[in-house]
Amino acid sequence: MLEQKILGIKTEALEKIRSVKDDAGLFEFEKMYLGRKSEFTGILKGLKDLSPEDRKKIGELANAVKREISEASEAKRRELKNAGFDLESERIDVTIPGKTNGYGHLHILSIVQREIEDIFTAMGFEIADGPEVEREFYNFDALNVAKDHPARDMQDTFWLKPEIQNPKSKTQNKSEHILLRTHTSPVQVRYMEKNKPPFRIIVPGRAFRNEATDATHEHTLHQFEALVVGDSVNVGNFKHIAETFFTKFFGKKLEIRLRPSYFPFVEPGFEFDISCTVCGGRGCPSCKHIGWLEVGGAGMVNQNVFVSAGYKRNAYQGFAWGFGLERLAMMKYKIDDIRLIESGDLRFIRQF
Amino acid sequence: MKYSYNWLTELSGTKLSPEKLRNLLMLRSFEVEGLEKTGQGLEGVVIGKILEIAKHPNADKLQLTKVDVGNAVLDIVCGAKNIEVGQKVPVAMVGAKLPNGIEIKAAEIRGEKSSGMLCAKDELGLGEDHAGIFILDKDAKIGMALAKFLELDDVILDIDILPNRAHDCLGYVGVAYEITAIENRGFDYDYSGLKLPKVKSKKLKVEVADKELCPRYIGAVMENIEVKESPQWMQAKLSASGIRPINNIVDATNFVMLELGQPMHAFDFEKVSGMKSKIPNYKSQINPKSQIQTCNIIVRRAKEGEEIKLLDDEVKKLDKDNLVIANNKEVLAIAGVMGGLNSGVNPETQTIILESASFNAVSVRKTRVGLGLKTDASDRFEKDIDPNLAEKAMVRAVEIIEHIAGGKLEGIADIYPKKVKPWKIKLDLEYANKLLGENIPFKRSIQILKSLGMDISGKDGKLTVGIPTYRVDIKTQEDLIEEIGRIFGYENIKSQPMVAPLVPAKVNKERFFERNVKNTLAGLGFDEVYNYSFYGQKDANDCALGEIKHLELANPMNPGQQLMRVSLIPNILKNVRDNLRNFKSFNIFESGRVYWPDGEILPEERKMVVMAVVLEHDKSAETFFAAKGAASDLSDKLGIKNVYFDNFDAAPSDSLLGLWHPGRSAEIKVEGMDGKIGYIGEINPLILPLFKINRRVAMVELDLEKSMEAADVELKFEAIRKYPTVLRDISILVGREITVGGIIKNIKKSGAGLVVGVELFDVFCKEEKNSFAFHIELGAIDHTLESSEIDAVMAKIISGLEKELGAEIRK
Repeated sequence: MLEQKILGIKTEALEKIRSVKDDAGLFEFEKMYLGRKSEFTGILKGLKDLSPEDRKKIGELANAVKREISEASEAKRRELKNAGFDLESERIDVTIPGKTNGYGHLHILSIVQREIEDIFTAMGFEIADGPEVEREFYNFDALNVAKDHPARDMQDTFWLKPEIQNPKSKTQNKSEHILLRTHTSPVQVRYMEKNKPPFRIIVPGRAFRNEATDATHEHTLHQFEALVVGDSVNVGNFKHIAETFFTKFFGKKLEIRLRPSYFPFVEPGFEFDISCTVCGGRGCPSCKHIGWLEVGGAGMVNQNVFVSAGYKRNAYQGFAWGFGLERLAMMKYKIDDIRLIESGDLRFIRQF
Repeated sequence: MKYSYNWLTELSGTKLSPEKLRNLLMLRSFEVEGLEKTGQGLEGVVIGKILEIAKHPNADKLQLTKVDVGNAVLDIVCGAKNIEVGQKVPVAMVGAKLPNGIEIKAAEIRGEKSSGMLCAKDELGLGEDHAGIFILDKDAKIGMALAKFLELDDVILDIDILPNRAHDCLGYVGVAYEITAIENRGFDYDYSGLKLPKVKSKKLKVEVADKELCPRYIGAVMENIEVKESPQWMQAKLSASGIRPINNIVDATNFVMLELGQPMHAFDFEKVSGMKSKIPNYKSQINPKSQIQTCNIIVRRAKEGEEIKLLDDEVKKLDKDNLVIANNKEVLAIAGVMGGLNSGVNPETQTIILESASFNAVSVRKTRVGLGLKTDASDRFEKDIDPNLAEKAMVRAVEIIEHIAGGKLEGIADIYPKKVKPWKIKLDLEYANKLLGENIPFKRSIQILKSLGMDISGKDGKLTVGIPTYRVDIKTQEDLIEEIGRIFGYENIKSQPMVAPLVPAKVNKERFFERNVKNTLAGLGFDEVYNYSFYGQKDANDCALGEIKHLELANPMNPGQQLMRVSLIPNILKNVRDNLRNFKSFNIFESGRVYWPDGEILPEERKMVVMAVVLEHDKSAETFFAAKGAASDLSDKLGIKNVYFDNFDAAPSDSLLGLWHPGRSAEIKVEGMDGKIGYIGEINPLILPLFKINRRVAMVELDLEKSMEAADVELKFEAIRKYPTVLRDISILVGREITVGGIIKNIKKSGAGLVVGVELFDVFCKEEKNSFAFHIELGAIDHTLESSEIDAVMAKIISGLEKELGAEIRK
């Protein structure tokens, strides 16, 4: 009996709420169905007179209905409120540029260097460093480039004044020059003096060549050197690591081509090319229709270099390779003038 | 060096096309930098024989000729005077387009038909000679294409010979040897069989005073020479290789140099002997008894200040480090570099002394660098040449000169005290395969070495290899392995993954930290620049760094790049100047090394980071505070705690001080750490105009290593406050000398642990005083503050400010 009454109130209320049109109507509605003097409240008040079983049963029902009516009332309140809000009047032009906080740009060489470092460190290479102002010994003698050897002509050197007197010098000549390193290779010997194989390292860093600058030549360059030494590291291993690296770096499958070359610190020595990153080797203007791009130099570490570093001759074998970051960056981003790189020009820097 | 394809095929017998040859050489031997066809523009020029010459009826200076070109006889009008009936001449046929652009058409010249043109050398692009029609050799075949006859239908390969192969491959024979080895064949010519005839010269006496610098000297006297133009085939070979033909003697020496890589020189015998000396009282070297005119050649070091006039007319002053060829009286040539003008061969020369010698490479290099010379001879000598090559070259030269200059060998003088013999190297072919990473059959490796002229003994891959003396570069086992590898073909070596311990890389902490700095600065809106590591003295002076001892380059590109930077700031100021042309405001930074010449052997290299801020408007030091804000953000992100900014303790030792605005700069310090981690400030406004900068520029300079040290603290969690804090405002008047930093410090000190934060929110100046207003946030960690506690703390703070800073509290 009571149950039906409750359900009846519910049906009536839910029917009624649909016709509420304004706040006054809603006030009336709430007063009628939820107010202190409403029939429904009266029922709830009377629950205490019922038997415990009925009280539980009816109570649950009454509370559920009350909740349902309150929710319907709340929903109506929101509906009335939202209807009064003129969203259209707030329309804005969303094509007006946003307000930015601005952010800075890393230099292109930093970006390229990181990409390279990340690939190599993922392969377990350690990053090694060495001085940019270097002793003649580490830059040349220890790398098997003898004094007065024409190979020293291959790399035009910035020398510093004056010559230093170094009684501890390992060269026959006790007076030794200091210079701006012409490559990152001196770090090979410096690292090997302190570490025993097996190891694999990379050496990113600044190097200097005393040559006039033009669109493709810069006297200040950034090199990248890798050195892997162990018991049986071989030419095939070099090819594999080079392929893996360049494929990852350029994001496409590339091949490596080795050509004979001469660097005193390696034997055998190579020049290495990668298949053209644009045409994949078929030939196009980027690779001058050769299908290959010249990237850098490499080779199997000359045993004399191991000896300079204090290893026993023929105890180890390994490979070393190096290339220029500028060249790689220019290849990747199609930059046509190397001088932009150290120009400090924000019109250039902000493009990357 | 430029190599004629025709000559290379002649020596090597290769059947490969020039393009294929280039590709193969690239992969196996040397880079080929260019491939150029010659004889272009000579299509349609053939050899003709002049049958008749008649006067042109209507023009005095012209002649009518009938010329046999094989398949026809042509009427050609010609203006040159040097033609005669029976001569063979180049005929440009109708339709030919000559190298100088002239197109040959059938024409009528003053009423006479002319169907073709007889050509002078310049018209054929063969030189500047326009003296007359180019008269060809008598045996030239009528109707033959001129380019073919002159051997001009050639392809020139520009091969970049590596410095370690200069001693054998700056000669055609060396490259031809490479080609036959690559093609896996033997080399056909027996150059090693060339031995000097055992005829001792009666006229020439050679004395080598410095055997260290001249391991071998061969002189040969040739008589009855007729100096003239050399034959066409030789001129063609020289021209193709980039050497200008001069006369048959000089050409012969150059030819041998090209062929074998051994530079040679020819002296005029009589000039060397002194017979023709113009110097009075010079005693000629005639042996009174035999009446034989003799000649002395002395190889010695030059005397200090001795002079020589070179072939190119230039006079050079020599010193004792220069090796020279001299007679009893004067210097005749700079050994291995260039001959003297006075002793050279000229058209009157009848007797010559041929020189084929071997000089110390380092000495030649030093001499030519010192004298600023570079010749084909020095290019070869400075890279070490096999002394045995001198003999082969001499035999070839004598043979050729006898053939083309009608000379006869009188005799030879050969000074060769320490003979160089083939040496032996032990080679383990298993090691070769282990280093190359490929299983090359031993048989193949042995074959390769043999094809390169090596002498092999031993078995089971344990070899003893005899090295021919012309392979000066092969000294170790690895040198031989390279020969095997490259001839086998590096592309035939399979790529293979490396076997190595799977260990994580050791982290380079400094690089990691630097990366963090760069990321943060980019996030804060700073663009990264890279600058050169040097600047000029003027830049240093302009930045008040002029007094600082810099590391200095001995050979800078230019004076503006002579000093190694001790600060990144000068070059960044240039960046600011340049970018102000395009931008009104910007933030830039650089991370790089500076070089202080105070290390033991090497300078001390410090890694620095400099940030620069440039704003469009600056009314009340906004630029400075923008930089300071960025510095605070950076140190916060890096985990550098307790950073504070302190006025300079202007120690005179601090040499970088002049750079900064004395009233707008500070040292950046960290509590608990000695010294500073950097500077912050505006650049001294007296410096900026020197860089043409008309804005304020604020910079932060951080020492990366010290910053890293400061950031190296473990982070510890601090409990989040559970009890509310309250804000109290305070407004004070203080003297001009009192700083905000000092006030905040004072408030915190008086607040005894209850001051959570102090924030400056208002500043204004009133006569001689400054007025500041602060929000002070108060709270305790373990309870909510009672209002009595708050009042007590505020009273303490106020009394501290009044007593210690003389502050006046504004109500």
